[in-house]
Amino acid sequence: MGDAQPLLQVKDVSKSYFDQGKEFKILDLIRFELAERDFVCLVGPSGCGKSTLLRIIVGLDTPTSGQVLFEGHPIRADNPQVAMVFQSFALFPWLTVAQNVELGLEALHEDPAKRRTVAKKFIDAVGLTGFENAYPRELSGGMKQRVGIARALTIEPLLLCMDEPFSSLDALTAQNLRDEILQLWSNPDLPPEAVLMVTHSIEEAVYLADRVIVLSSRPGRMVAELEIDLPRPRNRKDPEFYGWVDEIYSLIV
Amino acid sequence: MTDFHSMAKVSVGQILGLVEAVDEVGGVADAATISREVEMDVDRLGPILVAAEFLGLVTVEDGDIRITELSRKLLTAGVRERKRIVREIIDDLPAFRLVMEMARSSSTPLGRQEVVQALSDRVGSHQAEDVFNALVYWGRYAELVRYDSESEQLTVRVAQT
Ligand SMILES: Nc1ncnc2c1ncn2[C@@H]1O[C@H](COP(=O)(O)OP(=O)(O)O)[C@@H](O)[C@H]1O
Ligand SMILES: [Mg+2]
Repeated sequence: MGDAQPLLQVKDVSKSYFDQGKEFKILDLIRFELAERDFVCLVGPSGCGKSTLLRIIVGLDTPTSGQVLFEGHPIRADNPQVAMVFQSFALFPWLTVAQNVELGLEALHEDPAKRRTVAKKFIDAVGLTGFENAYPRELSGGMKQRVGIARALTIEPLLLCMDEPFSSLDALTAQNLRDEILQLWSNPDLPPEAVLMVTHSIEEAVYLADRVIVLSSRPGRMVAELEIDLPRPRNRKDPEFYGWVDEIYSLIV
Repeated sequence: MTDFHSMAKVSVGQILGLVEAVDEVGGVADAATISREVEMDVDRLGPILVAAEFLGLVTVEDGDIRITELSRKLLTAGVRERKRIVREIIDDLPAFRLVMEMARSSSTPLGRQEVVQALSDRVGSHQAEDVFNALVYWGRYAELVRYDSESEQLTVRVAQT
C-alpha cells in the first residue's frame, strides 16, 4: 500500500528558542499531511513561525519535538525530491540566468552537457528562453523569481516549497507568476507534483490553494485547515472567493 | 517607433497581470477602478496601460479600459504559446524591422552603439536608449534577438517554434 502513503507528514512539530534559560515557543504541535497533487498554503500573521516551519519541513532546521516525514522517511536537507524557493531570489549577480539555473544541478549531474540540457528545459518552462545569457541586474523582479523557480525545478522535485515567493513583487507581476505556478503544478509532464507555499496574503492563499492551513500568532498553532473547493481558474472578484477570504481573515484577527 | 519606447519600463508579467485584472472585473473598467484593484497608483499604471494598448491587448475609449479578443487568447495560453502571440505582434514593429535589416546586411554581430545610433536617426537621441532597451527586453522575450550585455553585441536569432 505504498501508494496510499502521504508525500509529506508533519507530526506534532514544535519549536522553541531558548535564551538565558527562558523558553520562547515559536511553533506548537503542528500536524498536517500533504499528498501528491496537493497545493497547500500556510497563512498566518507575521512572526507566527511560517518560515521556521517551512525550514523545518525541508530539513534546513530541526524541530524541538515532533518530526517531519517525506515518503515515510525523516526529511533530510539534501533530499532531491524537495526543492525550495525563497522570497529574496538568492541569485548570484556575477552569473548569467543559465549559470544560475545550472547551479541547482551541480550535486546531481557531473556532466556539464547534461546540466546544460536539463537547465534549458526548465528555463523554457518558466518562459525565460531568450534571457539565458542575461545577468540578474538586467532582469525585473518577476524575471528574477522565474530564475529561482527554474533552479528549484531542475532537480525535478515532487514537492516544491515556497516562502512568500511573490511578496516583493508588484501586484500585477505577482498575479502573473501565480498563474504560471498553477500552470506548472497542473502540467503532468513537468514538476512539481505538489506545492507547499507560505504566504501572509489570504487572498493569495485562496487564489492558489486546494487547502489552506491557518496559523495563530506566536506561538504558531493550527487554527484551521480549510478545503477551498472553488473551481479554477478562480476569479478574485467572485463573491464566493471573497467569502473564503473573509472567513480566513476572521480566524486570524 | 515613438510609442515603442514606453515599453522599455514595462514587463510581460505586468501586462498580463493588468489584462487579467480587467478580465476579472468583467472585461471593462475605468483607470481608477483598475488602479485600486491592482494596488498601483495611476502614475505607475500609466506606462503599463500604454504598452498594453500598443500591443492591441486593451482598448482605451472615453476613459474605459476594455480587453480585446487577443487578450483572452493570451490569458488562456501556455508559456510558449504566449511568446508566439507576442512575437507575432512585435516582429512587425518598425524598431524590430530596422534591426532585422541591419543584422541581415551585416556579417558581424551588431554593436550596441551602432544600433542606438541608427535608432537616434529615427526617434531622436533622447529616446534611442529606451527604444534599444525595449528592443532587447521584448526581443529576448519573443526570442527574436540575442543580446550579450558584456560584449554589448546584438544578434538575430532563429526562434524555435
Ligand atoms: N534564530 C532565532 N532565534 C530566536 N528567535 C528566532 C530565531 N529565528 C526566528 N525567531 C523568531 O521566531 C518567530 C517566528 O519567525 P518566522 O518563522 O520568521 O515567522 P514568519 O515567517 O511567520 O514571519 C519570530 O518571532 C522570530 O523573531
Ligand atoms: Mg517568514
